[in-house]
Amino acid sequence: MSAALEVEHLTKSFGGLKVVDDVCFTVEEGDFIGLLGPNGAGKSTTIYMMLGLISPSSGKIRMLDRDLGSHRQEILARINFSAPYVAFPARLTTYENLMVFARLYGVHRPAKKIMALMELFDVHHLRDTLVGRLSSGENARVGLCKALLNDPELLLLDEPTAYLDPHVSAMVTATLAALRDHGTTIIYTSHNMREVETLCNRIIFLSRGRVIADGQPLQVTQTVLRDNRSDPALGEVFMRLAGGSTN
Amino acid sequence: MGLPIKAHRIAAVILRHLYDTRRNVNRIAEMVYWPVQNIVMWGFFTLYLSRDNHLVPGLVTCLLSATILWGMFYAFQRDLTTCVLEELWSRNFLNLFASPLDISEYMAGLIAVNFFKAMTGIVVAAGTAWLCYTYNFFPFALTLLPFMFNLVIFALAVGVFTTALIIRYTTRIQTLAWSFAGLLMPFSCVLYPISSLPHALQPIAWSLPTTHSFEGMRRAIVDGHISIERFRAGLLLDVAYLILAIVLFRLMLRSAHSRGLLVKLV
Repeated sequence: MSAALEVEHLTKSFGGLKVVDDVCFTVEEGDFIGLLGPNGAGKSTTIYMMLGLISPSSGKIRMLDRDLGSHRQEILARINFSAPYVAFPARLTTYENLMVFARLYGVHRPAKKIMALMELFDVHHLRDTLVGRLSSGENARVGLCKALLNDPELLLLDEPTAYLDPHVSAMVTATLAALRDHGTTIIYTSHNMREVETLCNRIIFLSRGRVIADGQPLQVTQTVLRDNRSDPALGEVFMRLAGGSTN
Repeated sequence: MGLPIKAHRIAAVILRHLYDTRRNVNRIAEMVYWPVQNIVMWGFFTLYLSRDNHLVPGLVTCLLSATILWGMFYAFQRDLTTCVLEELWSRNFLNLFASPLDISEYMAGLIAVNFFKAMTGIVVAAGTAWLCYTYNFFPFALTLLPFMFNLVIFALAVGVFTTALIIRYTTRIQTLAWSFAGLLMPFSCVLYPISSLPHALQPIAWSLPTTHSFEGMRRAIVDGHISIERFRAGLLLDVAYLILAIVLFRLMLRSAHSRGLLVKLV
């Protein structure tokens, strides 16, 4: 296995405030990483730096054996991103929006790919619906279709199930599990600890911009809670670790 | 090393705006309503001047041509910026710039889309002038082509400049998209010769490529002579302003990356 992502001493300050503070971790190919932490812990800022949307104050990011600073476009063509707080132009239909992104990513046979993804996320009936008329859950699912258009080697997901009802959330979780089994490297943030336990083979817990726990869910549970239970309990871990830092 | 510029990504930007234009009433209004409204208003004004014999030779042609060319300049620079604003309003900015789309490909796509729209505006305005006032702009179009070219380049520089400021200072200053050209208009001598301006303001006017284009346009219409001097001076200023705008854009983009503004724009 080689590293899909190497984050070395990553730091970001806005004004005098350190939002990400000397973060280091390596992600192997095929890993499913849960990037956890309370609000303001630096999770989204770390993801934005991985996308080259925010430049780090110091430190380095290497993805897919390339330095992000000097190969940003090449890397972005091989990865993808989704978050429920981004949207698509409201006056374009679901299909038109996905077609624009399929062209941006240079997808081969885009129409076929789009229809397959729309069926996967159960939004095929919304093909000709204007995106402005979609519910937030439907919009999030279209975002996930967009995120899989280019068969990404590395997928960055910021709270992908945040606006979804339990039924759709379960469907998305199953799809992410299938992607994991298929070997896609995934880094995602979530506040749903049950979901994290189901999906992730490793968690990285951030607090006040620093990594304060890193390991397999069960291993982190046993270390943080100081007991030898046999099942992960990330909800309790979250409460323990975030207790002093939630805002 | 980044990837080289890819035509399919520029085509994607064009496709996005073509899809949007079909359903966007504002876009259609901008392309059709304002050019028609301007021509109708200035057409009535020139009719009034003709009726009372206040007319100097070539004035009708000059006024209507100036209205058409200013409309093209104004629309091109405004639409370049509003296309960026639409991505911000629709919260699509992150999706675009988390993709392999390079800013130069994005701008190339916007230039292509807005050039097409500006040309549509010219055809609509010229058609209205012909229908309402039997003024045929098209025979002059070839003579005016060098000055139209200079206007398009300056509109591009202004569009890049205002977009750079919006990326840095966010939508708080989005009104620049509609208002900045208005600041230039009195000094651009669109409807009157530069000699009408007070002496103190004339150096400001000569520093604008638009002034050289409209002075050149009047001379071409009245004398039938293309002023190489006006074209060359306008072009040199265009190149200077475009370089400055691109440098500013790069600085503002770097600053936005550093301050995390690109993700706060959504």
